[in-house]
Amino acid sequence: MRRLIILLLIFLTALTNLPALLDLNTASLEEIKSLPISESQARDIYLYRYYIKFFESIYELRQIPSIDQKTLNLLKPLIIVSHYQDEDEIAQRRDEIYYLIERLGSNEGFQEGISDVWEDYLITPRNINKLTYFEILNLPNVSPVDAAAILSRLAYGDSIANYRDLRNSPGISYYGASNMRYYVNYENEPLIRKFSINYQLKYSDAPYDPDAVDMFSESMIRLVQVDEDVDPATPTAKRQSYWGYFNMEDHKETVANKIRMNYLNNWKAGLLFNSSKGERTIFKSNVENWWDDAKYYLGYERDINFQGRNHLKIYLGNYRATFGEGLIMENTDYYSPRKTGFGFNKRIIGITEDLSRTREFSLKGFALDWKRDNFNAAFFASFDKKDAVVYDSNDNGIIDEDDDLLCYINLTHRFANRELEEIEDYINSYENNLNQVKIAPRLDAVQENILGAHLEYHPFVGTHLGITGYEAVYDRDFVVPQEGELRHLLITEDEDAAEKWKISDNEIESLYSTRSSVVGDRDFRRVYGFDWGTVWNNTSFQGEYAELEVDGDILKIADDPHAFLLTAYTQFENLYLLSLYRDYDLDFDNPYARGFSESERFDDTVFERLTYALNNTLLTDIYLNAAQPSAERGIYFETRYRFHEMFTITRAYLDIWERKSDARKGIRFESRFEFRPIHQVRFRFRYKYQLKRYQDDLDRNRSQTDEFEPAFVFYLSNFDRLQLGYVYTRVKQPPYLSILSDPAEPDPTGEELGMDMAQANTLSNGDMIYVDFTHNFNDNFKILGSFSIWKTHGASLWDFEDVELDFYQSDRGFKYWFNLHTRIANNIFLSLKYKFKRFMTREYEFRIFNEIPSAGPYYYERVQREETSIRLQLDCKF
Amino acid sequence: MNRIILIIILVVLSFQLYCYSLLNQYYGERLLNYDPRSLAMGSATVAGGNRLFTAFVNPANLVLQPEGISAQAGYKIILNSENRSLPMYNSFDAYSDDAIYVSNTSYYLDPALAVAYHWKMQEYSLSLAAHYRTYADMGAEYEEEVRNNDNSDYDSYPPILAYNSIKGEGGIDAAGVTLSAAYREFLFLGLELVKLGGKNKLIRRLDWSDQAYIMMLGEDVELVDQYSKLNREFDGLSFQAGLGLRIDPRWSVGISFRPKVDLDVSGDFNDVDIEETVFIYFSELDSLNNPVPFDSLTYADFTDPLRFRAGFSYQPRNIMKTFFNCDVEYVKWSDINRLYDDQINYYIGVEHVFRQKTPLRIGFRFETEYGLYDDHGLVFARKITTPTFTAGSGFTFLERFTLDVAFELSNRQYEALDLFPDDVYDYEPLWENYYYLNLEDRGWENPDTVEETFFKVSSSISFNW
Repeated sequence: MRRLIILLLIFLTALTNLPALLDLNTASLEEIKSLPISESQARDIYLYRYYIKFFESIYELRQIPSIDQKTLNLLKPLIIVSHYQDEDEIAQRRDEIYYLIERLGSNEGFQEGISDVWEDYLITPRNINKLTYFEILNLPNVSPVDAAAILSRLAYGDSIANYRDLRNSPGISYYGASNMRYYVNYENEPLIRKFSINYQLKYSDAPYDPDAVDMFSESMIRLVQVDEDVDPATPTAKRQSYWGYFNMEDHKETVANKIRMNYLNNWKAGLLFNSSKGERTIFKSNVENWWDDAKYYLGYERDINFQGRNHLKIYLGNYRATFGEGLIMENTDYYSPRKTGFGFNKRIIGITEDLSRTREFSLKGFALDWKRDNFNAAFFASFDKKDAVVYDSNDNGIIDEDDDLLCYINLTHRFANRELEEIEDYINSYENNLNQVKIAPRLDAVQENILGAHLEYHPFVGTHLGITGYEAVYDRDFVVPQEGELRHLLITEDEDAAEKWKISDNEIESLYSTRSSVVGDRDFRRVYGFDWGTVWNNTSFQGEYAELEVDGDILKIADDPHAFLLTAYTQFENLYLLSLYRDYDLDFDNPYARGFSESERFDDTVFERLTYALNNTLLTDIYLNAAQPSAERGIYFETRYRFHEMFTITRAYLDIWERKSDARKGIRFESRFEFRPIHQVRFRFRYKYQLKRYQDDLDRNRSQTDEFEPAFVFYLSNFDRLQLGYVYTRVKQPPYLSILSDPAEPDPTGEELGMDMAQANTLSNGDMIYVDFTHNFNDNFKILGSFSIWKTHGASLWDFEDVELDFYQSDRGFKYWFNLHTRIANNIFLSLKYKFKRFMTREYEFRIFNEIPSAGPYYYERVQREETSIRLQLDCKF
Repeated sequence: MNRIILIIILVVLSFQLYCYSLLNQYYGERLLNYDPRSLAMGSATVAGGNRLFTAFVNPANLVLQPEGISAQAGYKIILNSENRSLPMYNSFDAYSDDAIYVSNTSYYLDPALAVAYHWKMQEYSLSLAAHYRTYADMGAEYEEEVRNNDNSDYDSYPPILAYNSIKGEGGIDAAGVTLSAAYREFLFLGLELVKLGGKNKLIRRLDWSDQAYIMMLGEDVELVDQYSKLNREFDGLSFQAGLGLRIDPRWSVGISFRPKVDLDVSGDFNDVDIEETVFIYFSELDSLNNPVPFDSLTYADFTDPLRFRAGFSYQPRNIMKTFFNCDVEYVKWSDINRLYDDQINYYIGVEHVFRQKTPLRIGFRFETEYGLYDDHGLVFARKITTPTFTAGSGFTFLERFTLDVAFELSNRQYEALDLFPDDVYDYEPLWENYYYLNLEDRGWENPDTVEETFFKVSSSISFNW
């Protein structure tokens, strides 16, 4: 024993006499210089740690060019590296969820504002044990069944301690739990950093959509026949259109600067300054005061422990309000087809900040949202000027402030009012021009004051009943002219309005008027209704009923135009089933409705079909940027089913609906299937079938579309990815009679080709091959890219890029793009995208400034065009 | 060996003809930055520039060079592809697209050279540099063949009626000195004084072809060639001041300020003194809507607007050695005339160093220019924006030499008036189907659409001893 003690003492003495090893992760430059290496080598080691990374192993020294193996061998007995822990909690968390933040940051359209809210949850997750039903439901991919499962457990006094505990909650799905894991925590963790700032710069010079270019390019001058022997030909002058008059060729960039600030997760503020293509800059604005168009908010949120869980939100400035199924209030400019409110089509219910690019339907004022266990209440007020379509209702020859409004309009390009008046003067004073402008959009044409509220009661977990209503008061009248007058207002007089007006155009006649024949004039629009939801075992039922007050009794249901939606959602571990029924009245004209629908409002009306005949071509924007759902009735089913570890139906849906305006019936089916023989290789197949006007084989509007897309996806090492795909689409429809003559009376001369063509169904088809790739150079730098080549033969194809959607309508072409993503630091992200597209446009007739042969029209078969665009996004998060 | 081949290729590439956008045929292409490293990073370099040429953007960057003698020599090659097209109309007479009628592709080259010496005196440093560079290149090359509509049915070229051309030569060169001082590697100040001078010749001509003369034989009208020549000589001084701050080892900020430069210009336009030749009139409408001139610009007016640039350089901790630069530049375009609005340019770039030795630089910049146009006596300004995607790399060889290469790709589109209006060719004997043609001048109701693509390559060798 004594010997043992002596040996131990000797060992301890030896240990204490050992020279101390230098920790490279904490040593100062002077300490590193004390090692037996040169001063420049010491400095290289120090700079490596400072600018590259902390050492995880002493062998990492070999990464430094000036440290060779001999030097490393020399240093080995003298150094150690300790485990380094980043002290910045937010930076550390950001590092963990980098890929999620990146994915959210790339969202556009209606998801744009939602991403900000989810990102805040990611950075400062909230305690799941204190969340209310809708706060859980608002998290991405969480279903009502998941939310009810968590609350049911908490209602028994239990609490959730960690993710594993969450996952074991009875009734919760794997997808629900795994998706919410990064957005919540399990206890009230103190924040180390109290103040955070997010700054985002977005630049894009993507061209206008082709449909918008057609709208702006269409002539506004249509000459009247003054000489019986001479046909009045429209002058071929570029200036006759908005495109030429305003030199829209020069319109290039969209630049958005956004800044958001949070303090203690309670105080929030934000500012967005968005300068769209060809519109204002910081030095020049289309409106008198650019603050009118900037978006900003100041918000206060906090949890309050007062007789249970309470969460209070107060917002000043721009906010977003969404309730129920979006039939009464969901203020976004962006339309999204088949927006179920589940999965990737999520709505955030309640009041949230709004720095999205929504501008026409933005709400500006103040809002209050109070959520507690069994009761939610929200009040909101908005005072803002809105763009609207104004027409010469008093027939005095000018469009001014004394005239009535037809409807709201969400403009692709917001020309200043003085610019609009200028071109209208030019058009109206054009010699022999029949098309005198009688209707036009105006910026900030109407003052809209909204007061609204939502009250909701939860009698037991997973069940709620709510009522919502708002009243919008206007300082000008919305008046829809009578049927015949409306046609002649919208369509140039010489275009034979009556023939061009179709039954589907009664969607325009059904616009809301503040002048009612029954109750007289008023200055408001009032929409109200109720929503409900309940969870029973693994199934949830929810729905909403909304009514637009016209001339009925406010307390009587269904005596006014109304909209109704009901959904049932059942989930199992590897399967969900969603069924949805909707029925919207044609007269239900609620500008803030964003409920589920197959198509947007004004589809197939003169606003879509007859740009060339409209009195003002800008009216096409009423359709192009329509955000309201079309009036329709239909039933929709959706499922996802993983029936084997190798086989998954990733998403399949069937929609059968009827459009109210013309009773057109349609079917749409789409299914995505994935076969995964091994983890790294996946075969995907997509099939889409759509039939419109299936009840009438001979109708002009009947069309049938089939689309197939097989694709191979390879998941390579280091998270690299390669996808090879092929798309084939075909559209079958009756011939366009307007370009073909009657075969019973063929052209006797036979000179005009096509005149003798037999009338039969036409088939357009197109296909595309594409390659998508992702290559990770390392954790902080990657490239995404794609190459595609297509041939459409009259059909059209969609291409889903990383953050944008491209539409191929041209005959043939190819495109490539690449996007460089770099994480400059753990709080600075840069994405730089370059796109090149070369394509052939459809046939055009050359008329002037070019040779025309002595007989017959001269066609250039194809015209080649090129487009290049750059997109930049910089995110700084401090 | 590969590096030597690369150098040879770059040198061979540099001996080319040169030309640039016709948009700048009178005022030239301003070349503010020659440094390939920062050019590859979107030209963002007002803070923390570590090459000699970055002192052209901010003189305070000069003192960031290593102690002793430094030199940098480089050049910039620009490939400019310009397509001019005229509007097309569909069968409903609506404008639908544009058809290219003339396409020109040209190159130009501009060199730069700088030498500096850097002294260190305890807490202070001082650098002095001399440099030479092209300040504004006024090269221009445009060729257009006017052909009639005969014989095209047989897939052969129709005869040429006229040759149109614009040719510009020369430009403004800059020779200057830069002085920069630093205190404790924290505060940097710099001043640049530059002597500007140069010559420019711009010739515009329309030459009828022999075929055209033959076709007009026996007619009363005689075809006359057009020729105009502008000769200019420039002289002046420019001044620039810069400030740099190294806030901490990761962050640097920089500011540069260049006041408005008014150059003395002499010369003649078609043998008339340019002081007496008006380039453009500014007019106002009278009560009868007739334009009444109230001011004018002559060919002798040449102003470079005030520029104020601020930015930062950030070197974070990253598994690739990384620099992130960001500049914002304010250009007081209203200095030139009242039709121009002041503008902001953006420059953003990042450098990642792979495996501690191979840099990859990417960047983006966005700049705004203006063009002045006369529309029936009323002058208006067109804002033309140019977004640019940049990339580049570099390497060190023979320990003291560094070669940097940058590539820049820009595309811009704008409308402009026809450079050679069509009424000149309005003679019936010249055309096959004269009845169908409309040989009038196309004004702004039917302007050209100009699409330009720039591909620029810059390279330099830096040396320190």
